[in-house]
Amino acid sequence: MRLPYLARKVLQLVVLLFAVVAFNFLLFRVLPGDPIRLYARSGRLTPDVVAQLRAVFGLDKPVWEQFLIYLKGLLHGDLGFSYTYRRPVAQIVGERLVNTFVLLTAATILVTALGIVLGVWAASRRGSKVDSSTVISSLVTWSMPTFWTGMLLLFAFGVWFHVLPTSGISTPLATYSSPLGKVADVGRHLILPTITLVLVDIGQFVLITRSSLVDVLTEDFITTAKAKGMSKRRIVWGHAVRNGMLPVVTATALYVGIVVGGAIQVETVFSWPGMGELTYEAVLRRDYPVLEACFLLFAVTVIVANFLSDLLYRVLDPRVKEA
Amino acid sequence: MTRLMRTDLTRRQFLTRVGGGTLVALTMPEILAACTGAGQTATSTASGSPGGPSAATLRIGWSSEPDTMNPLTSYSTEGVEVQQLIYDKLMDYDAQLKVIPGLAQSSEVSADGSEVTYHLRSGVKWHDGKPFSADDVVFTFSTIAAQASSQFAQWLAEMKDITAKGNDVVVTFSKPQAFDPALAIPILPKHIWQGMSNADVQKFANDTPVGTGPYTFGEWQRGQTVSVNRYEGYWGTPPGPASIVWVLFQNEDVMAQSMRAGEVDILTEVPPTIYDGLGGVAGLTQVSLPGFSFHHIGMNVSSAADSKGNPLLLDKSVRQALSYAVDRNQLVQIALAGHGKPGSVLLPPALGDYMLQIPVDQQINANPDKANQLLDAAGYTAPNAGGTRQTSNGTPLEFRLIAIESTTVDVRAAQLFRDAAAKVGIKLDLNTMDENTLGNVVYSTTDWDLFVWGWDSGVNDPDYLLGVPLTSQIGGNNDVYYSNKTYDNLYSQQASALEHTTRVDLTGQAQQLYYEDCAYIVMWYQDKLQAYRSDLWTGFADTPGGIVFNFTRANYTNARPV
Repeated sequence: MRLPYLARKVLQLVVLLFAVVAFNFLLFRVLPGDPIRLYARSGRLTPDVVAQLRAVFGLDKPVWEQFLIYLKGLLHGDLGFSYTYRRPVAQIVGERLVNTFVLLTAATILVTALGIVLGVWAASRRGSKVDSSTVISSLVTWSMPTFWTGMLLLFAFGVWFHVLPTSGISTPLATYSSPLGKVADVGRHLILPTITLVLVDIGQFVLITRSSLVDVLTEDFITTAKAKGMSKRRIVWGHAVRNGMLPVVTATALYVGIVVGGAIQVETVFSWPGMGELTYEAVLRRDYPVLEACFLLFAVTVIVANFLSDLLYRVLDPRVKEA
Repeated sequence: MTRLMRTDLTRRQFLTRVGGGTLVALTMPEILAACTGAGQTATSTASGSPGGPSAATLRIGWSSEPDTMNPLTSYSTEGVEVQQLIYDKLMDYDAQLKVIPGLAQSSEVSADGSEVTYHLRSGVKWHDGKPFSADDVVFTFSTIAAQASSQFAQWLAEMKDITAKGNDVVVTFSKPQAFDPALAIPILPKHIWQGMSNADVQKFANDTPVGTGPYTFGEWQRGQTVSVNRYEGYWGTPPGPASIVWVLFQNEDVMAQSMRAGEVDILTEVPPTIYDGLGGVAGLTQVSLPGFSFHHIGMNVSSAADSKGNPLLLDKSVRQALSYAVDRNQLVQIALAGHGKPGSVLLPPALGDYMLQIPVDQQINANPDKANQLLDAAGYTAPNAGGTRQTSNGTPLEFRLIAIESTTVDVRAAQLFRDAAAKVGIKLDLNTMDENTLGNVVYSTTDWDLFVWGWDSGVNDPDYLLGVPLTSQIGGNNDVYYSNKTYDNLYSQQASALEHTTRVDLTGQAQQLYYEDCAYIVMWYQDKLQAYRSDLWTGFADTPGGIVFNFTRANYTNARPV
C-alpha cells in the first residue's frame, strides 16, 4: 500500500511541475512587449544588430524550440542567462534565495510555534477572558496590513527610538572582527522584518489551532480521558493537540507557499535583498529567464510544501492511509 | 515619483514606486511630526580636512540597482552612475557642465571639421597597474562602432577612420560633428576586452571593472550596496571621499527616513510629496534643479496607408486645437505639485541657450477660444451645444488616449487633458496600461491616437532630443511617426554646425517648426529633486540636471566632509 501511494503522489508532483514550467514559459512570451527593444541601446539601431541580439539570447528560434532548449537546460540545472544582469540566472536567484530563506525560516518557525501554543492555550480556557482577548487580538493583528505594520515598526524602532537599523540585511561596508559579528549584525537587521511577519500572520494560526482544538476537546475520547482521571495537561497536549493538528499542518503548508511570494511586502519595506525585489525588477525589465526562475521557485515551494503536508497527514492521522 | 532612466535608449520617464508610497502617505505627516529631531549619527569615519582627500565615506541612497558594470550593455542610470567614477572619458564636464580635459589634455578639429585629433595624457595607469595608451582609445572606439548596439554607437555612426599616432588619436568623420563623442564614451582597457566576439561582449557582466578613473571598483552586494574606493594612482586631483557607497532602498519613504536617521548622505531622486516633507529639517538641504527631461502628449501623425491611427489627427488644426485647449501651467501645478516648468519646445531648460524661448503671446497654450475658432474654421461643428464636434460627413472628433498607470503624474495630466479637450468639443477616451505594453503599442503598432509619456536627454547636448522626430527614426525613437523634410534638414545642419551661435539658430528653427506642427504637446519640464546632509557634507554645486545622476561626476569628487 505504502509504495503505490508515494509513487502516485510523486507522479502527480512531476506532472504538476511540468505544467508549471510550460505555463510559466508561455505566460511571459504571450505578454506584449519585445525584450530586445529594451536591451538594444543604440539610438540608431539597424535590423542587423537587432537580429544579432536576438541570436545572442536565443530569441531568434521558434517558441517551441526555445522551450525545448529551456527544458533541456532545466534538466541540467541551468536556469538560463539573465537579459538584464548578463549573468547566469541560477547565480542571481541563489544569492537572493538565501536571504529570503533566512527571513522566512525565522518567521515561519515563530509564527507556527507561537501560534499553536497561543491557540492551544486559548482553546483549553474556552470562554475565559484569556480566550476572548486572544481571539480579539488575533483578529486585530490578522487584519493589519503588512506594509503599514512594517512602516510603523520601522518608524518607531528605526527612526524614533533609533535602536534598530531601518533597512537592508547588514550594515553597509561594515567589517567584522569575527564571523559572529556578522551573524549579530544580520540578526539585528532581521528583528523588525521578522516581528512584522509574525504580527500580521500569527492570528490565523492562533484561530485555526483554537477552533480545531475546541472541536476535538468536545469529543467522546476526551470525556473518556477525563473520566479516567488524566491530568488536563496530558489530555490537551497528549491527546487533543495531535488530533487537532491536521488543519494547522495544511495552513502551514499554504503559509510557506504564500510567504515565499507574500514576503515581497515586508522585503520592500525593509529593503531586504530577497526574492521579492528581484521579481519586481525582473518584471519591470522584462527579464524572462529571471522571471521564469522566480515563478518556478514559488511554484515548487507550494507544491513541495503541500506534498510534505500530505505525507505528514499520514503520520498524524493513520486513517488517511486508507484514503 | 518618476524615475529617470537617463541612459535608457528609449529615454523614457520610467515607472514609479507607488506600491508603498501612496499607501502610507496618509499616516506619514503625523509620524513625521513625532520624529522630528530624530537622532543623528554622524558618519563615523568623517575626519578629513576641507580641500583635500578625506577619510570619509559618502553614502548615497537610491531606489534601483545597476544592471551590469559593462558600459557596452548597461542601460540603467545607476549602472552609468557607478561606471562614470571608474572609467574616464577623453573629455569630461565640470560641476557647471563646462567641457574640461579628461584622458585627452586637449583636442584639435581640422579646418573642414571632419578630423579630430586628441592629445592624450601620458603616464596614466589602469587600476590594475598596466599603462594606458592610445591603443586603448582606438580599441574602444572601434569596438563600439563595430558592435553598433550600445548606447554610444550613435555618436560614432559617422566615424570613417581612427588611428593612433604616438600619444595622439586621430578620428575622421564623414562630416563635422557638433557633439564631441569624447564627452560620452568611457575608455575601456584593451588588455581586458580584446579578443571578445560581439556575443561575448553581450554576455560579459564585467563584475570587476578596471578603468583609469578616480575610483576603483569595490564591491557589489546584490540587492544591497555598491561601493567604490579612491584610486591612489589617479592622474587628476585626488577626489574627496575615500569611498562611495550606494545603498538600495525599495521604498522611498524609508529612504527619506534613513537620511533623517543619518544612514545615508544624499538621495538621488526624491518624489515631490516626500521632497516637500523634508523642508525645514535641520541639517538637510533640498536640491531642486532644472532637468534634462520633459513629459509630453504624443499624437499619431503616421501618414502610412496602413496606419490604424485616427486620420483626423493628420489635420494640423485639430492638433493645434488640442494644444490650445490645455493649460500647461495648470498641469504643472496640479499634476506635478508645482515642481517643474510649463512645457513648450523639445529642448528642456537645462540645455541653456539651446532652448528656444517662445513669447507668451505666441504660445499654443491655454486658449480654448482660439481652439474653438480653429475647429470652427476647419468645419468641425457640434450637433448640439457642448457636444462632440463632427466632420461634415458626421465622423466625431473622438480619440483614444493612453497613459502609463504607474506614472501617477502622467495619469493625472491625462485626466486634465481629457477634461480640457472636452471643453472645446473633442472627446478623449482615456485608458491606462503598464509601461512595456504602452511602449509596445506605440512603437510596434500604429493602432493608437494619443499617448502620454516622457523623454530624458541621454547627453548634455541638443542632438539627442532633436533627433527623436527624424524621419529616419521611424521604427526607432520617433514615437509619433512624424516626418518632415525641412525638419530633417535643419537637424542634419545643426549636427554639423561647429559655431555655437549658428547651432543655436538652427536648433531654434527646428524647435519652432516642431512646436507649430504640434505632433507633441510638451506638458512640462520637471525639476530634479534631490536632498543631502549639509551638516555632514559640502562641496556640491548647483549643477543643471542635479548634483548626482547627472553627466558630471564633479559633485562626487568635490564632496568634502564638513
